[in-house]
Amino acid sequence: MIQRSSAVPIGRVVATELKPATPHQFHFWTATETTIGIGAIVKVEGGGKGEEGRVVHGVVTDGFAYSDLATPLHDVIGAEGDPARAADSPTLRQEIRLWTAAVLRQEPEEPLQPVPLGQVFVATDADVAQALRMDGYLSSATPTGIPLGLYTSGGLEAPVYLDADFLLGPEAAHLNISGVSGLATKTSAVEFLLSSIFQHFPAHKGKVAAVCFNVKGPDLCFLDQPGSLDDADRRRYERLGIAPQPFARVRYYAPFKADGVNLNTLRTHADLVGDVQPLVWGLQEVLDFAEVLLNRDDIDAKADAFIDFLSDRVLNKDFADGFGGTHRVQTFADLDALFRAIFDGLESAGRGDMWRTHHIATIRKVRNRLSNISTRCKGLVTDDGPSSDLPWGTLEDRTVYVVDVANVDLLGQDLVFARVVSKLREHLERRDLGVDAVVVFVDELNKYASADGPETYVKKMLLDISERGRYLGLVLFGAEQFRSQIHRRVVGNAATTVYGRMDYDELATPGYQVLSPATKIKLATLPVGELMVRHPHFTQPIFVRFPRPAVLRGRDGVERFPPATDLPFEDAVVRQLVRLDSRVRPNQIKDLIAERTPDDVRRALAATRRARSDDPLGVFRRMLGQRVGAPSPDRPREAVPPLNPIADDPY
Amino acid sequence: MVAAGAVPASHVPEESLGRTDLTEVAGAELVEDAELRVHAVDMAAPDPPVVSFLDGIQRWKVTFYDGVVPIVRAYVAGAVRRRSTGRRLRTVGEATREFHVTSLNALRPGVRAALEASGVELVDVAEQAAQPGRALEAARRAVENARVALEKSLGERHARTLAPEEWLVVDGLLSESAVLADHPRTLGVIKSHGAQYFEGEALTRALTLPALHRSSVFRPRGRARHEVFSWYLRLWPWEGNDLLFGLLRVEACARDAGVAAASATSGWLTRERAPISTPDPRWDRLLYPIHDVETYLKTRAPRDLLPRSTSRLPKTGT
Repeated sequence: MIQRSSAVPIGRVVATELKPATPHQFHFWTATETTIGIGAIVKVEGGGKGEEGRVVHGVVTDGFAYSDLATPLHDVIGAEGDPARAADSPTLRQEIRLWTAAVLRQEPEEPLQPVPLGQVFVATDADVAQALRMDGYLSSATPTGIPLGLYTSGGLEAPVYLDADFLLGPEAAHLNISGVSGLATKTSAVEFLLSSIFQHFPAHKGKVAAVCFNVKGPDLCFLDQPGSLDDADRRRYERLGIAPQPFARVRYYAPFKADGVNLNTLRTHADLVGDVQPLVWGLQEVLDFAEVLLNRDDIDAKADAFIDFLSDRVLNKDFADGFGGTHRVQTFADLDALFRAIFDGLESAGRGDMWRTHHIATIRKVRNRLSNISTRCKGLVTDDGPSSDLPWGTLEDRTVYVVDVANVDLLGQDLVFARVVSKLREHLERRDLGVDAVVVFVDELNKYASADGPETYVKKMLLDISERGRYLGLVLFGAEQFRSQIHRRVVGNAATTVYGRMDYDELATPGYQVLSPATKIKLATLPVGELMVRHPHFTQPIFVRFPRPAVLRGRDGVERFPPATDLPFEDAVVRQLVRLDSRVRPNQIKDLIAERTPDDVRRALAATRRARSDDPLGVFRRMLGQRVGAPSPDRPREAVPPLNPIADDPY
Repeated sequence: MVAAGAVPASHVPEESLGRTDLTEVAGAELVEDAELRVHAVDMAAPDPPVVSFLDGIQRWKVTFYDGVVPIVRAYVAGAVRRRSTGRRLRTVGEATREFHVTSLNALRPGVRAALEASGVELVDVAEQAAQPGRALEAARRAVENARVALEKSLGERHARTLAPEEWLVVDGLLSESAVLADHPRTLGVIKSHGAQYFEGEALTRALTLPALHRSSVFRPRGRARHEVFSWYLRLWPWEGNDLLFGLLRVEACARDAGVAAASATSGWLTRERAPISTPDPRWDRLLYPIHDVETYLKTRAPRDLLPRSTSRLPKTGT
């Protein structure tokens, strides 16, 4: 597969006092007709005395063209003031194509010297591997290359690999991708890269999975469905050694809508909705993350203390309220009953405004905030009944877990992010997640990790992953439109940075000053499917092309699999039970739930789903009318340790 | 003055800067028209599909003195660059020569032996060696003769291989070479006008040609070694500059067909004025392809033969 050098020079290094060759930069000229362009990788071979064997690889960062015209006025004179005649001259003026290149690698590396004034060649496959220092991790005993795309120039298509040790830890980790919205580049790039990781993640590094948050539209709803590819895509897949297939194992999770039976996702087509698992959390899960849901400015130390009291002393325990009542709080409904008992007891006993050292105003405040959660996040947080969650501890190798929160209230999204990522962190710390590394894909970082936004729990969580995740195998793939507006420690800790087409205003920000004007222009006009990538092994940014992901794009998916309209309550219940057992007759279920309250039916349905019984209808029948509690009342509280407040000093 | 019929001009003669040019009244015999007339050039005439251009350069400097005897190191070069499709010039012929010029007999034996042992060709100028000024003038003539000979040799070689529709344009006299003077598709383009071929009214007409006009074709007399036909051609208006501004003298083979084609030939030669060959100060007469050949040769000439900058201290670029 390695292409050999054609050994025909395409240029020559030139150096003047004003434009000297240095150890990090050089200039060369080519013929006016050349395949060289911005981003092209070239090789310089030293030919002078003492330079034999010295090879320098560089990437073109700028280009200049000029002729021997002394002043523009002379062109006017030559054409006698008629622009149409300017092109009629029998002889073309002498022109130059002068290129500036940044050094990628010098061999030998010591002593580091200015680039020799030698011949310039286009890079071959082997040169690209050497220039980008990929040879170190592609040809070792335990290769760790993850194909990212193809470096293309003048007909050459050379694979570019990332180092898994620097993409997914432990040496470095995290990937950040920026680009204007609407071109599907960011999402496509991540989908393709995940596919590449799943197919090329080295066996010696263990198991890997991905958790992707779908935050807008149907973007990630069809990862298991094949998309359309053209011949060029298939050729690129073949060149990269990646099978153009959709993800073999994808698990979808989505909360319910407010009715508690219709799923809040665009993957509701009858052929696909069967493998979407509900995401439903109860009081216990919410209290663990009370900090996420309760506005810090609103909740003071007293309220914090009361919430801790509830978690430690009340939740899932037989608790005497001090007024003669005993409560076992497992749900929001139980908690509200406890609050009512406390208020009634204090009022009837005339014992003032303190209850167990907590002021009644604090208790009322916490009650208001918690009851508000179940209202705002209805469908995700259940008032009463069991939860349904990701399979913590049994995550499967090479599996994508899509959590669809696109249509969830912002507060609910915060809760989902915080809880899912915190659970991942907990389990990875204990090494009992089921996989050794997890890629967490979060889009719209401008919303969740902005540099100047409020200090949210999600932002603290993203900072925590960025700074400490690589030791655990918890890897953040973040995407955003404006990189300059992301918290600098989130982007700064991303070892691999990918850029799609960029906005001109964004490129004018200080973070892009290291790029040449030509590179910026190229970035501002990048076609779909082309990216600029920075990686620890690459000393300069490199442009690569990647094929379209072999999965159905979101907007194509909703056309091929139009989302089903919301079913009436009874029909939705029937559909869910039929999915569990195709033998179930709809009329049987409708008879069972007639005259039952929707809350009763929802509780029974959730319990049936969780039971995974061979006789779902029997379980459903038993559960109807009886109280359904949380699965393990004595589960010890596993609240996530509080994260540090955001400060400039990560330590 | 203008009202009285004078034409405004603005010209500082090169002689005012100390440079002199050989002038002579050579004489001519008209072969077109009974008296010298002015003809409009045929700007609609097509360009030849392939044209080659020949030019040469010379460089020399004093590298040693033995007593007061200068030892000159010289470099002459010539090149032919062809233009075909693509409108770009490509080198198709090139020749160079490096040599030392001195009065060998005036050198001390040790210096002479060392010079001969250097392996570089030696050209002996015996005359007036005792006077450094005259020795330098003799060296200049020797270098110029070497350059002319090299150009002639290169031109003749290329003329023999010209393709059927290919033309060769030589910077300078065609009449120096029998081969070039006799070839039906060679042209000599002369920019300096030290030799004058007319007097009186004819001279006035020849030197005040309007732009895009030519004179009648004539047969030069005087120094011409081989018979050629010639005519004046004005590329740019001279009014406001100098009589010789934009004025070329063209030499072609002495055949009747050349007379008939003079206007058409002048047409495509006139079009060669664009692009203009600035920053060369002779841009009004220097055809761009000739300028290109000269630039090509200069870039390949030994750098140590270039004139020093004004200061002998190193010059920085900052």
